[in-house]
Amino acid sequence: MLARAAEKLYWMARNLERAENTARLINSTTHVLLDLPLGASFGWTNLLEIVGLDDLFHQHYSQADEEAIMRFLIEDARNPGSILSCVQYARENTRTLREILPAEIWERTNGMYLYIKENATIACRSRRNRYMVLDNIIEQRHAIVGLISGTMGHDLAYQLVKLGRNIERADMTTRILDIGSAVRFPQDGVLHETLMERIWMSTLNSLSAYQNYRRLVNMHVRRNDVVNFLLCDDRLPRSVVHCLGEMESCLRLMPQSQQLQMSVTELSHRITQGHAERLDAPALHEYMDWLQTELGRINDALTQRYFHAYDNGMPPPASDQAEIEFAEQ
Amino acid sequence: MEIAASEYADNTAYDELLEPGLSPRPAAKPLFDYLNSLDQAELAARRQAVDATIKAMGITFTVYSEAGNIDRAWPFDPIPRVMARTEWERIQAGLKQRLTALNLFINDLYNEQHIVKDGVFPLEVLAGSGNFRPQCVGVTPRFGVWAHISGTDLVRDRDGTVYVLEDNLRVPSGVSYMLENRQIMKRIFPEVFRTTHILPVDDYPIQLFETLAALSPRPGEHPVIAVLTPGIYNSAYFEHSYLAQQMGAYLVEGSDLIVGSDNVVYMKSISGLQRVDVIYRRIDDGFLDPEVFRPDSALGVRGLMRAWKSGKVGIANAPGAGVADDKVVYAYVPQIIRYYLDQDPILANVPSYLCMLDEQREHVLANLDKLVVKPANESGGYGMLIGPRATAEERAQFAELIRANPRNYMAQPTLDISTAPTLVDGQLAPRHLDLRPFVLQSDRLYATTGGLTRVALNKGSLVVNSSQGGGSKDTWIVQEEDS
Repeated sequence: MLARAAEKLYWMARNLERAENTARLINSTTHVLLDLPLGASFGWTNLLEIVGLDDLFHQHYSQADEEAIMRFLIEDARNPGSILSCVQYARENTRTLREILPAEIWERTNGMYLYIKENATIACRSRRNRYMVLDNIIEQRHAIVGLISGTMGHDLAYQLVKLGRNIERADMTTRILDIGSAVRFPQDGVLHETLMERIWMSTLNSLSAYQNYRRLVNMHVRRNDVVNFLLCDDRLPRSVVHCLGEMESCLRLMPQSQQLQMSVTELSHRITQGHAERLDAPALHEYMDWLQTELGRINDALTQRYFHAYDNGMPPPASDQAEIEFAEQ
Repeated sequence: MEIAASEYADNTAYDELLEPGLSPRPAAKPLFDYLNSLDQAELAARRQAVDATIKAMGITFTVYSEAGNIDRAWPFDPIPRVMARTEWERIQAGLKQRLTALNLFINDLYNEQHIVKDGVFPLEVLAGSGNFRPQCVGVTPRFGVWAHISGTDLVRDRDGTVYVLEDNLRVPSGVSYMLENRQIMKRIFPEVFRTTHILPVDDYPIQLFETLAALSPRPGEHPVIAVLTPGIYNSAYFEHSYLAQQMGAYLVEGSDLIVGSDNVVYMKSISGLQRVDVIYRRIDDGFLDPEVFRPDSALGVRGLMRAWKSGKVGIANAPGAGVADDKVVYAYVPQIIRYYLDQDPILANVPSYLCMLDEQREHVLANLDKLVVKPANESGGYGMLIGPRATAEERAQFAELIRANPRNYMAQPTLDISTAPTLVDGQLAPRHLDLRPFVLQSDRLYATTGGLTRVALNKGSLVVNSSQGGGSKDTWIVQEEDS
């Protein structure tokens, strides 16, 4: 597996995951909006902060209303995190990875790109269209994930795709956990409580975790339980700890990965023992920031180890690695 | 299905599918029976399905002039070009004969030069060749073969004779489109494959793999093969990634490779450096190795020539193979075949006038309005003069170019190249086309079944290059029912 191709695969997976997560985030946020009582308002700009794109947005837009933010998050080419940008990036990478990926994956990714390109504008125009288009994107992305796990050889390339998918997924889960900070409440204690429950429900929904939560944790949506569930429950495929576990098992199959495995395991332990659910709202927000920084560190270590190992001169030939490479073909 | 009769009435060229009375030639009869069974609406629907399929499959090519636009959908005409198997087999034998002789010629040029000493091939032609690489003198690659992959351009003249127009021995492209065109046809017109016996084309990737594998310096081991591409902005990038995928090879760029002090080529893999045995390079000689050729090349690999000369890596096509892909050398191919093989050429050469020879040059200058003049070392249809279509001023300018550098030019009579029915506004109209079969040689000698048919989509145009507005068709070699 070429180092250059490995980097592209990893980012292809991250971008596809990000496109799906952004679509989920927008859809579930829209659901919350419908439940908001009169007097409460949703801070769209807070949503931009959550995904870390507020500065970029304000560089290009003067008014932060729903339509502008939707255009920015869905179809704006100037935003590298917009759904269109992510899918386009993934498509360009898939094009250059055709010797590694099964042909159907290219056709599907190409199809997804053509779809979003054609429908992004109508998606921004009304909430109804938006829901339908974003739902289609999520569905098309699932078809690609299904093709990857069902038709791609489970070789090093596969591990890289899985690594990219899971690190992006973990990062987005920490961001979605922050969504509660985006709602501004009217001064009414009782309303506040029911409203908070709605918001946590929506948080679970955006991660397809509500049904799991009810089945595995509790019928009542309680803030502490939700936080704990989304961070630490290994049974939930989008919990941070589960994603880290997936990364760990991928790394175990990668060459010379001991150091990286240790960092991932350690982070996972810290989360399990950190009891973040006991933190108050500002502290929880800071905790999520810290988690995002830690995931960024793992990304950097991975990049250094596998993608840019040759940047500083030429390492000695690793002749004993030849068999691993053959096995992956 | 309607034939554009008035366009056909004006067509003086040989038509591949239709006889002068507009009835189908025998090999094309089943196809026409099928086409006649489709009504206009059905045909239009298939035409749309073709476009959608090409878009979905992402079959693209790049046009240099469109900055920023990396890919453009591949222009494809759904009416196939049909040829009878018996005729194809004669052409196939001619192609194999030609490549065999050319490889003997290249190896001789870089070694003893018997053909020069025996007075068959003039030294001054060699001296003026831009593609002769002095750095390759004294090398004999495995099997003595230099051009492992060739893409020969064939055309048919008014009387039905098939001529070789060019031997492309450097980095010929188009084979991926040949394979994809067949895939499209199978998806959109599956019925016709049941009624016509169309020979398959899809063994090319495995033949290419075996051809390359035979060049490995470590026989007996599973060879590591890499396709070396200039990168995503190259017009043939689609093909590079396609072939790598089909062969299970690595697709690499120059920066992915390193030549060690042991002269071995290594690939930068995530598991460490990994040895590469064979490189199918899709970059020109001049960019291969900045140590030996263009020092400013960022596409190549420093030390690659060292590695190749010391036998640590196989390179296809071998550096320097382009010496025989020169339009002046072309004029000598019939003599080359007779000299090395002691056989008459099976395929005809277009009569050629060499401007370096005084008498022939005077003939060219006196008949510029009737001839096509080509520069010796260009490909892709660039830098040529089509006499009958040029203005007097253009011809005068070209005459100056010829006088200034006679070795660089040769001229040929304009051929009335053949046509085939092509779908234009719902009708079948005659459009000019050529055929590029691909021939492989290393431990084996193989020619594709048919090849890539390129068609000039504009009425009357003779330019089939995809870089200049050409399209392509599927090429059917068919087993005739009575044979």
